[in-house]
Amino acid sequence: MEAATDPSLVAGVRAVIAEHEADPGELGLTSIPGGASRETWLADAGGRRWVLRRDPPDSESLVPIAHEFELVARAAEAGIPVAEPIAREPAGGRFGTAGMLMAYVAGTSVAPRILRKDEFAEARENLPAQLAAALAGIHALTTADVDGVLPAAAGDPALEQVAEWERQLDEIGEPLPAVELGLRWLRRHAPDPAPIRLVHGDFRLGNFIVDESGLAAVIDWELAHLGDPAEDIGWLCIRSWRFGNDDRPVAGVGDLDRFIAAYEAAGGDAPDRDRIRYWEAFGNMKWAVICARQAHDHRSGVRSSHELASLGRRICEPEWDMLELIEAS
Amino acid sequence: MQDRPDAPELLDAVAEYLFAELRPEVPREQRFKVLVAANLCAVVARELRAGEQPDREDLALFVGLLGEEVDDVREAAGRLAARLRSGELDDRIEELAPRLAEHVGRQLDVARPGYADGDG
Repeated sequence: MEAATDPSLVAGVRAVIAEHEADPGELGLTSIPGGASRETWLADAGGRRWVLRRDPPDSESLVPIAHEFELVARAAEAGIPVAEPIAREPAGGRFGTAGMLMAYVAGTSVAPRILRKDEFAEARENLPAQLAAALAGIHALTTADVDGVLPAAAGDPALEQVAEWERQLDEIGEPLPAVELGLRWLRRHAPDPAPIRLVHGDFRLGNFIVDESGLAAVIDWELAHLGDPAEDIGWLCIRSWRFGNDDRPVAGVGDLDRFIAAYEAAGGDAPDRDRIRYWEAFGNMKWAVICARQAHDHRSGVRSSHELASLGRRICEPEWDMLELIEAS
Repeated sequence: MQDRPDAPELLDAVAEYLFAELRPEVPREQRFKVLVAANLCAVVARELRAGEQPDREDLALFVGLLGEEVDDVREAAGRLAARLRSGELDDRIEELAPRLAEHVGRQLDVARPGYADGDG
């Protein structure tokens, strides 16, 4: 973790906390690694803590931070466990770039720790049903519930998403024949349009804050959109998010039957297996494009990092899993 | 001629140092970065040991699927990607999937050995 070197950022965060709660006094600010496209900072005032998420300098993210702030607020109102949003600032405001301040949630989001450490044994038992309940809650939200925050779905949700990731791939210009084949297969095998609901868009291990009893908060809402709820289930199940626990498709902690049963028990309308497998193939295509995009950011100098560079050589993993799903269908 | 160790052997040595010696010594939140660095050394070592054979096999595969002569493997991949995008190969998707899996499998042999067999 790196301490903040910008005194105006520290002063800005302190002022915002003072405005919404009370002056926290002397504040320490350290960057938390891991956020792929937004910066995350931990603010600490003698043990009282907050989290700042903001755009990196010279870079704007897919979903404007004002939208993410409002979306998380509505998810909180709906009873979904999130890091409570406190305040937001526009670009050029007190956080420098556009950013939002949130309540600190104790726990970890680091997948290998959650999957391997003894202290999370009970959490691993509880997670499948907790994730199913949280996801059923997200999928209970309709277009009307996120009116003014997210654009309404324009057409077939699967074809819309395929077109979106084609666009993302075109921005990179990397020749990926396997991904291209997947995009065509996904176009030709799109399921009948499902009722449109809120889709988190990045619902996976790594975006869950987990404490010893399990799910504490669902974070990273910047890929949220309106679409087919099965998209979130397929994405949750792709092999990359099992982090080596390949025999447990649900985030490396659970099996799909029990997850679906818990999702239905929480009021979710369970999609059939073919639909989930379709979105798992889609999820692998999407992760391949994201890997290519991150590697491209490194190569083009947007964000130089050996971690981003390494993702260029991981494109082949989701490509392989996607081709296996296509061949088995 | 360079004296030995050769390039893959040097990378093996660096990877081993990063993984076994440096990683336990750095703060916990930095360990993943060290692990990534060690893995990248191992990837490059495997790529050097594999030589030009995987690229030759990919070029032969792509040229065969394209039905036209191309000399450069990246150029061939780009043309195949464009042909797929245009939709003109849509009727051959089932036939092409296992062929492209051969290409992706060769990438995995360098980047993540064992992944295609369900390990790792």
